[in-house]
Amino acid sequence: MSGILCAIRGGPSSQPTILKAIELAQDTDQVIYFLYVVNLDFLTHTSSSKTNHISKEIEEMGEFILLSAQEQAEKGGVKAQGIIRDGKVLEEILSCCEEYKPAYLILGRPQEDMENNLLTLERLGSFADQIKEVCQAEVVFTEK
Amino acid sequence: MKSKTRLPWIIILLVSAGAMILPVKDQAAAHETPSQPRLYGLVEDEQFQPVKDVNVKLVDALDARVLSTNRTLEDGRYALALPDRIPAELEILLERPHFKDRVIPLEKDAVAALQNGSSVTLPTFVLKREITASLWIAGSVFIVVLILIATGFLHNTLAAFAGASFLLMVSYLGSPFLPQLEIFSFSQATSYIDWNVIFLIMGMMIVIAVIENTGIFHWLAFHAYRISNGKMWILLSVLMLITGISSAFLDNVTTMLLMTPITVQIALALGISPLVLLIPEVFASNVIGVSTLIGTPTNILIGSFGNITFNDFLINLTPGILAAFIGLVIYSWFSFRTELESENAVSPTLLEKLAERGKITDPENLKKSGWIGAGMLLLFIFGERIHLLPAVTALIGAAALLLWIRPDIEEMIGAVDWTTLVFFMSLFIVVGAIQEVGLISIIASQIGKLIGDNLILAMIVVTWFSAALSMIVANIPFTAAMLPVIGYLTTIVPGADSKVLFYCLSVGAALGGNGSLIGASANMITAGIAERAGYKITYKYFMKKGLPALALTISISLIWLFIRF
Repeated sequence: MSGILCAIRGGPSSQPTILKAIELAQDTDQVIYFLYVVNLDFLTHTSSSKTNHISKEIEEMGEFILLSAQEQAEKGGVKAQGIIRDGKVLEEILSCCEEYKPAYLILGRPQEDMENNLLTLERLGSFADQIKEVCQAEVVFTEK
Repeated sequence: MKSKTRLPWIIILLVSAGAMILPVKDQAAAHETPSQPRLYGLVEDEQFQPVKDVNVKLVDALDARVLSTNRTLEDGRYALALPDRIPAELEILLERPHFKDRVIPLEKDAVAALQNGSSVTLPTFVLKREITASLWIAGSVFIVVLILIATGFLHNTLAAFAGASFLLMVSYLGSPFLPQLEIFSFSQATSYIDWNVIFLIMGMMIVIAVIENTGIFHWLAFHAYRISNGKMWILLSVLMLITGISSAFLDNVTTMLLMTPITVQIALALGISPLVLLIPEVFASNVIGVSTLIGTPTNILIGSFGNITFNDFLINLTPGILAAFIGLVIYSWFSFRTELESENAVSPTLLEKLAERGKITDPENLKKSGWIGAGMLLLFIFGERIHLLPAVTALIGAAALLLWIRPDIEEMIGAVDWTTLVFFMSLFIVVGAIQEVGLISIIASQIGKLIGDNLILAMIVVTWFSAALSMIVANIPFTAAMLPVIGYLTTIVPGADSKVLFYCLSVGAALGGNGSLIGASANMITAGIAERAGYKITYKYFMKKGLPALALTISISLIWLFIRF
């Protein structure tokens, strides 16, 4: 068991998560796995025929977001890899935990005012328990 | 069946469909040279619009015997065959659901002329609307469909499809018990579907599906970055121009689906927030999309209903829209200048990646689709001289492209967004229902009274009313419902026969989308992708930036329309 799994979405709200992963990697000398999940749920109310094409486009956008995080990690003197997955975010985090067996999983603490958070504060705890059960990774929460 | 053996069948299908929507010979013309004397006439409603499907009966006034019967055509005209012996007193009986029956005794002179074996043309008869339960049902269904779409409670297509099915269900299952529940028959319902719109959209979807896979958008966006040479105002203007021009020929949603991810990549490479490029882009898409007949579904609807050609849009609307675009670019620069001019951390690694991706991935198909696209543009422009409908041009282009590039036909047919086409067909039926029961007619009449005969006032009201409503309701059903209203206003407001009010509707319905995040599908798509990159576009932020853009672009467009008309 080694490595730090860090699921990111990009943008300013992912910065605390990225910084926490870098800080932890510096302390533990482990590699960071940045994870970006392509999720096309927002297309359900528009054209389904575009799903295949847009999935590829968003995947490329995700690569950019990962590259940007990797670049930041390298500047912090730690190694980082990018992982792209298609699907539901929580399911893909679990799946990556099973596959990569990371020692740590970094999760952003949800902000109460955000509408579309993947995890509510209530669900955060149960998801962390589920992660521990699946891969024994230690779940680290970032500050708001 | 293999793809190659299916291709001829698809071509036959497309060509047959094209033939179906070619202009049909006016059926009324068949009555112009009768071999026997007939009784002619015209039936209109209170707004002087022809009423089709009126059951017209020639009745012997003494014994109420029906001597002859026929139905009015699309143009409200009818022709009745005459019996061998003409009685001394005759009446015309007019019957149609949603109208009050009317009995008109024939003048003695007319009866005498008929008895002498001459044909007679009667004066125009006006039928009065009858408000029945069906009007409230059709109106309620339309409003419920609008709400379902606006709230996202149901998928657009499902909402419209359920609405259309419910209306037919009420007509067929309710009317045997309560005749007032009859809204329309199945054939009347389907007669409201505008096949010109459906096939134009379908043809364009096939062409777009080929173009979007060529990498042209990545190439254009990367070159926008290169041309800008670090000057952010150039980058912003060029990206807005690329988005706008693309939106003039492709639908706005497709344009933003393709432009948003690549714009996010450029912004990340330059170390700026993607929103400062994305929001101006989506504004540009909504504005320039309206400059051509094929740029937005609302223009396709307006063009088909108002018989406005590709050239009409180019001449009467495009210059005003281009002026509005220039205003929009200036506004966008001032609105986002602080963020764009701030010191940013440019990433060489990401720029290198950007350059790597900014290449045409399928030059062969791009070249072929370029030739076909140019040919289609010529047909759109010059085709009107031979009465070539835009739908036929789109079908010819799609078929030619499929034949030339021989793609995986399953993939290409899959690229047609059938859900959108079903949405349009269902929507036409739902809107047809409120037309059929007279709701549109009542609304048109009230708006007509408010506006009076003041063209300037009509232009202002139509434009701003459309813009305000398009901010909160989906502009496609709104436009579809407004078309008969505008058609009526065009006939009663002096000077409106230039079809200027249709252009006002086009401007209001499309540019109104910039006023709120839910105002246009392209806005929602852009927000959805931006959020996937961690940049949330809130309703409040979009409105803060969008309302001034809306006010500016609509004002400039309206000034142009005042000058032009």
